[in-house]
Amino acid sequence: MATERELSDFLKSVEKRAFKRSVYHVRDEEAALDIVQESMMKLAEHYGDKPPAELPMLFQRILSNCTLDWFRRQKTRKALFSNLSDFESASEDGDFDLLETYSAVEGSQQAESAEDSTRRAQILREIETEIQALPARQREAFLMRYWEDMDVAETAAAMGCSEGSVKTHCSRAVQALSKALKAKGLQP
Amino acid sequence: MNVVTRDLALARQDQFGHRIAARLDSATLELPRDVAERLRAARMQAVAKRKVTALQPAHAANVSADGQATLGGDEGPRFWHGIASALPLLALVAGLVTIHVVQTERRARELADVDAALLIDDLPPAAYADPGFVQFLKTDH
Repeated sequence: MATERELSDFLKSVEKRAFKRSVYHVRDEEAALDIVQESMMKLAEHYGDKPPAELPMLFQRILSNCTLDWFRRQKTRKALFSNLSDFESASEDGDFDLLETYSAVEGSQQAESAEDSTRRAQILREIETEIQALPARQREAFLMRYWEDMDVAETAAAMGCSEGSVKTHCSRAVQALSKALKAKGLQP
Repeated sequence: MNVVTRDLALARQDQFGHRIAARLDSATLELPRDVAERLRAARMQAVAKRKVTALQPAHAANVSADGQATLGGDEGPRFWHGIASALPLLALVAGLVTIHVVQTERRARELADVDAALLIDDLPPAAYADPGFVQFLKTDH
């Protein structure tokens, strides 16, 4: 059974990556924070007595499910309020704009004067943009496989699909990212 | 040949994936302070609600007045607790048996009284006109 310290250390080790992954999926920091918090609570409440070795897989599964739940809720909400939103003007601030979203990040990066830092930040932004542009399943498979450092079998178990599907998703994701970054003259 | 090409392609794919992952790692280091704080608060809240499997409590050491400690000292109280639970049941059974005995005794005494009253009473003359009674008298007892 994981001790309180072990659970805390585990959550600390994954929380930032989980947050960024959720942001890539839902493109909303507030929603991503809610998803990560909900995932943490579910893990602690339902699986807090599990051995530490089982926590990473459980957490990835819970995080994926919570993200899916968020999309389902958004779909329901959009269906419910679609008529009301028809009356809103197109120039509302609530509209998602990728350039606006990244303007804040861009502004903070400009404070760094070193050329390398600027270059690094630019590559990171482009990578993040391209990752967000990937189809959801490809993005999920790619991030679990390479960022969470899970093997193919673990990724398949967490995604609830076959290992062949994981390999296909990862391969397509790598091809898409490679092609997009090459077109922009960037080397990861 | 195909196997070698495929393995090479997989190795390149993995290498590319890990390079991207390394870039993404740097993104997590630059999270805004308020986001990091909210994540920390969420983590602490989750840990506070951690599910804990109930463990069998160990026998507490009983420390007597003179300082002697004994383990497993709750065996005695458990025995007396069992006895105390069984006492009402035993009392109920004993009560039922007593009631049954007393009632049987009373019924037998009542029947004996009736028989005795019949035997010591005078025989009415009409009894001799009863053919059944005459037959009863003729039979050898």
